[in-house]
Amino acid sequence: MENKKISTSEILSSGIKNENKTPLYNSDTLKKIRAGYDAIRASYENQPSGPGWEVTPHTILGSEIPRGLLYTPAQVSGLDYDDDIGFPGTEPFTRGVHRNMYRGKKFTIRQINGFGGPEDTNQRIKYMLEHGGTGISVIHDLPTTQMYDSDDPISKGQVGMSGVAIDSADDMEILFEDVPIDKITISLVTHYPSNTAILFPMYLAAAERRGIPFNVLKGSVQNDITLEEVVRSGPEYIPPKDCFRIQCDNIEFIKNNVPYFNFNTLNGYNLHEFGTSGVTEMAVALSNAIESLDEMIRRGYDIDWIAERLAFFWSISSDFFEEVSRIRAARRLWYKIMKYRFGAKSARAMWMRCHVQTSGISLVREEPLNNLIRASIQALSAVFAGVQSLHVDSYDEAYSVPTEEAALLSLRTQQIIQEETAVTEVVDPLGGSFYVEALTNEIEKRILDEIDEIEKVGGYVASIEKGWIHNRIANYFYREKELIDKGEIKFVGSNVYRAEDKKPAIEVFRYPEGVEERQKAKLAKLRLTRDNEKVSGSLGALEDACRKNVNIIPFSLECARVGCTVGEIFKVFKKSFGLWKPPVFW
Amino acid sequence: MPERKIKILLSKLGLDVHNRGVITVAKMLRDAGMEVIYLGNALPEEILNIALQEHVDAIGVSSLGGAHLTLGRDLIDLAVKEGIKNKTVFIIGGVFSIEDEDKLKEIGFDGVYTAVATRDEIVDSIRELTGNTRCLT
Repeated sequence: MENKKISTSEILSSGIKNENKTPLYNSDTLKKIRAGYDAIRASYENQPSGPGWEVTPHTILGSEIPRGLLYTPAQVSGLDYDDDIGFPGTEPFTRGVHRNMYRGKKFTIRQINGFGGPEDTNQRIKYMLEHGGTGISVIHDLPTTQMYDSDDPISKGQVGMSGVAIDSADDMEILFEDVPIDKITISLVTHYPSNTAILFPMYLAAAERRGIPFNVLKGSVQNDITLEEVVRSGPEYIPPKDCFRIQCDNIEFIKNNVPYFNFNTLNGYNLHEFGTSGVTEMAVALSNAIESLDEMIRRGYDIDWIAERLAFFWSISSDFFEEVSRIRAARRLWYKIMKYRFGAKSARAMWMRCHVQTSGISLVREEPLNNLIRASIQALSAVFAGVQSLHVDSYDEAYSVPTEEAALLSLRTQQIIQEETAVTEVVDPLGGSFYVEALTNEIEKRILDEIDEIEKVGGYVASIEKGWIHNRIANYFYREKELIDKGEIKFVGSNVYRAEDKKPAIEVFRYPEGVEERQKAKLAKLRLTRDNEKVSGSLGALEDACRKNVNIIPFSLECARVGCTVGEIFKVFKKSFGLWKPPVFW
Repeated sequence: MPERKIKILLSKLGLDVHNRGVITVAKMLRDAGMEVIYLGNALPEEILNIALQEHVDAIGVSSLGGAHLTLGRDLIDLAVKEGIKNKTVFIIGGVFSIEDEDKLKEIGFDGVYTAVATRDEIVDSIRELTGNTRCLT
């Protein structure tokens, strides 16, 4: 007998019994409002020229959801206060995961840092903390991200670029020297499951050397298969199923051993920025989260226990109300998935907690100071949406990594929102807006439809293996480029209102000199002074673990402790799992 | 006699992770009637080896991660050494400062493109640049 798999949307619709507990509008009122709405719409549509009632906005990374001229209770006639909106800190969490939201705890000001060697980034981290940053986020350079050592021939000319160079646990120690990692939250932007399995153990080894126990460490890693197998361009990839296994090994190890660390930050950001709609961004991240949790249940873990450390990372682009509604929709949908698909009981397990970053791809080269305005508007929509943590892109990032001055302006943008505007005093200030509630409903429905689509392809890992997801993204961004070229997606100062003099009057960032040589010298010394028998022994044990059905992270932690390098550990993964060629659609 | 298709090799330069731009350009050029080989991530040596084997008219590299000057210079130096610099059009796209755009031209790139380049600008300039080198050969 064919066993038909039930889709997530079917589970949710049978789980949710809309008892119409607290309907917002009665039918007589609605009838009257609908008549008024119909009359206005008819008179508008009778005008001979001009756009139709519904307009599809074209914005960078937008979802192209048509918008009417006006929203009234008639467009959200089914709203039930308890089922759809509720109170903050209670189901369905549409208004926010905490009861007091920003009055209880302000959003974390978490600017991303990373350039040069660990010595250079250490200085920038301290600078940001001295100026009021409340969290730290560290991004790694190209060789570290792609898991090669600084002295590998493939790394030539790229050490310390786009992030900080980390070759071993020694570098992790330098990176966080004099930074109170036992007190503040540290986000390690280890995009991929593979580099999370390599770099997070190095962070743990560095903490051990400082005598800091794992159970006081707080922060997050990314650990996302989407980043390793879909969004990345790189020379070598391991197969998706092995990558997914490492993702789950990271989750399992971190939850058991580093209990206050978010083991998985489902990264919609890089996917959205790579070129896809905000709806696909969320459908993909949620599908990945569902598949990880299924695997954790298979490994015998309790859903309420495991899910409480799941976090999300979204990109906030320029369609202001769409972005506010999107975050609200994802919060409500994730709650429904946790409650009805997984049977979660604890509130914490149902929370869609998120860090967000303003959109890098929306930054424009011409008249770069305009980017301050773009990022500020995006940041404000994130705050209206009730996010937990925020990074504001710097105005000079259309050229390079930000200068210290530009990074400070991003920090100040957040502080101005927090201290000068009073927007943080009231929870979910746009909740109840007919427009925002209608858009929240529509986006939630669209995300769920795309989750169903991914399930039909065979699940998230299968959608990667088959190239389905790669193809979907490519189709989006080819079309988006056409819309930009045609001027339908507008960039002020670039494809509209373009000024004659395009030279920017800004100083751009220059990478520090001599980083490659410095990293190479440290590596040469490390290779000489470490116990090389222990190194080969622990790499061998890691390889055995990779080939067996056991969690590999305790073994990569041992590798980190004895001084194995990033490249040496990645070599073990490549040898054990083999290589995979991801599809490219063009 | 029908004109031979322009043949172009495209590659990510080194370890840079961002490939939205280069695969968008790959599609644009193919749709514009060019023959496109997309290599994925490669170092200058590999890029030039393939270019020599394939007798391409142009080589386009993409760099958004900051290594455009170091690896870009390596690529051009090697091309000079291999004797194909003057017979082949070299273009580069990515994220650069205005100052670096000028430096890349000084290094020897015939075309330098940033995110603001439109499809028509890219296609037309590659046609023009390859037209020039073809006259030389």
